[in-house]
Amino acid sequence: MSLERTKRSVSDPAATTVVVMRLYIANNAPNSIRAVANLEAICREHLQDKFKLEIIDVLEYPLRALADGILVTPSLAKMSPSPATNIVGNLSDKSSVLQALGIEASVA
Amino acid sequence: MKSNQPALDRNPPRQNARSGLEGGILRLVKSLPERRAIESGQIDAVIDPATGKAFLLPEAQRALREDQARVRSLLALSSDWCWEQDEHHRFVSHTGIASGRSGIYDESIIGKTLRDPPFDSMSEVDWQAHLRLLEWRAAFRDIELGCTDRAGEARWVSISGEPVFDEQDQFKGYRGTMRDITLRKQSEALAQKPIRVARDTLDALALQVCVLDSAGTVIVANKPSGTSGAGSGGIGAGFPEGANYLEVCDQARGKERADGLAIAAGIRQVIAGDSPLFRRECVCDSLAGRCWFTLTATAFPGDGAARVVVLREYLIERKRVERISGNGAAHAAVRRVGRKRVERLQGPDGKDAEGGAVVNSLLAALPRKDYADLLSGLEPVTLTCGEVLYEPGEPIRHVYFPSDSLVALLTTVGSYEALEVGLVGREGMVGISLALGMNVSFVRALVQGTGMALRMDAARFRKEFRKSLQLQRELYRYTHVKLTQARQTAACNRFHLVEARLARSLLMTRDRVGSDPFLLTQEFLADLLGVRRVAISQAAGALQQRKLISYSRGKIRVLDRKGLQAASCGCYEAVKDS
Repeated sequence: MSLERTKRSVSDPAATTVVVMRLYIANNAPNSIRAVANLEAICREHLQDKFKLEIIDVLEYPLRALADGILVTPSLAKMSPSPATNIVGNLSDKSSVLQALGIEASVA
Repeated sequence: MKSNQPALDRNPPRQNARSGLEGGILRLVKSLPERRAIESGQIDAVIDPATGKAFLLPEAQRALREDQARVRSLLALSSDWCWEQDEHHRFVSHTGIASGRSGIYDESIIGKTLRDPPFDSMSEVDWQAHLRLLEWRAAFRDIELGCTDRAGEARWVSISGEPVFDEQDQFKGYRGTMRDITLRKQSEALAQKPIRVARDTLDALALQVCVLDSAGTVIVANKPSGTSGAGSGGIGAGFPEGANYLEVCDQARGKERADGLAIAAGIRQVIAGDSPLFRRECVCDSLAGRCWFTLTATAFPGDGAARVVVLREYLIERKRVERISGNGAAHAAVRRVGRKRVERLQGPDGKDAEGGAVVNSLLAALPRKDYADLLSGLEPVTLTCGEVLYEPGEPIRHVYFPSDSLVALLTTVGSYEALEVGLVGREGMVGISLALGMNVSFVRALVQGTGMALRMDAARFRKEFRKSLQLQRELYRYTHVKLTQARQTAACNRFHLVEARLARSLLMTRDRVGSDPFLLTQEFLADLLGVRRVAISQAAGALQQRKLISYSRGKIRVLDRKGLQAASCGCYEAVKDS
């Protein structure tokens, strides 16, 4: 299965300041816990309250992950603003997370 | 990082070095970033698109196992059992967590609800409330239930649970934990024991006890105080916990208004700390008739917040004794003696002799406060005819306030002859010399008419006499009256005929005893008047012949009071109202 994602057409990406994300995790497994903690730290620092985060446990809802094209967890999917991006792993590499979320440019 | 990188096979995994599982995973995951993440150990689970199932990588599996074991051991610290219920709230599993705990209820409760045995303490109301909670699929915590274990012993468990849903969000039932709290319950019951004993003691008191907080709300009320029985009544009777004492007192109406306002003001002073104690004697009408009570409010030495203990003690029994000491016939006499006399019998509080509070006129003339001070030192006694209260030259041990008894004061001349120098009845006191500073009696005090009197010991009397100006005034006035009488009697005895003197003596006795007929033997009358018995016999015969009195076997009845007055010398008129 390909990890290619359909690019979403967003009418006005600049106006959208709220970042919508989904984090796929596996219960309380170590990398999942780390990913949640890392993401929370990044959001607190860079997004304050301008984000929406849904955390999905793939052990409970594996089909939802598949529907979103997620094969491995932890995995973070940015839904909006476009382009939709995806980053896998425990999110310990802060700079690549910021880049994936498209934050670095606006913050810097 | 981009997610849509093409799948790379240029960097073939070191399959030889890997286990079959990891090889399988790497075959599933083809994109480079994901593979790299797996290789660097950052991935917990992989989803197989073919089966739609997620499976954990070995590292994550081990971590989760450890995690579960940790949770389980923590759970064992706080709970004894885990349980599961189906959608109808019936137990489907029940397992002990801690070793040695399992097996108490496990099999017996399968298929049962919390309403069924072995659980036995949930009432229908509790059960319905619990069911409503479950209908809302709410979690519940620490529901405490009594139950009976297999050995038949009573135990207590605490149950917590949360709802369980399946993948389609369908409600599947509840699961939770259960804890044996029998020991705690037992020690609680044990700890409650002294409190219960204290409470039972309070309830057993005849006294009404209640504790008020600073707003006047009753926070503790013992049983007599909380219920309004037939023997109680009046302002502030029957206060349940939660009622406001001050408000009820403030709203008292009618006869009780004055008492109510005074009580409220007094209690407020105690609450404010202006006064450590408030006491008031009140009279009221209840279903059982007139009753009296003392209300005492004391500051409560508690934990900082202002509190007041209010005691109500009913004085009905004591007052009844006092009433008996001035019973029926005496009352009737008071009514007949005339308006003027009745007025004198009335206390300043308006209580008349009918009310039964005070029958002795000296006591009745005292202000309420002075009387209340005296009251605790007074004891009712029965005086029987012929009893000698004092002998001349002997120290006075008690003073007496007769109510319907009659005491003659006799001066002895020589060895056996005696002469009456005074009669004391309800209008006076025996032992007046004590008030004049003499501790020894100069007369013989002989009970002439059986009846009741209130008695006080000499030391207490001296104390009260010094204290109460009003008592002093009353007794000085009375002494003056007695002196006048003695003078008159002395003159009368010297100059007047026996018949007239007998008529006077009978009238005075009649006034003081207050009842018809009364008992006086001829010997006694001879002593009183200082004449020989034959003279009394002749005089009494003459009065009887004129139908003024009837006289048979010492029993004397006044038949014609006006006639008897006319027959008496003027001395009776001179002394009767003084």
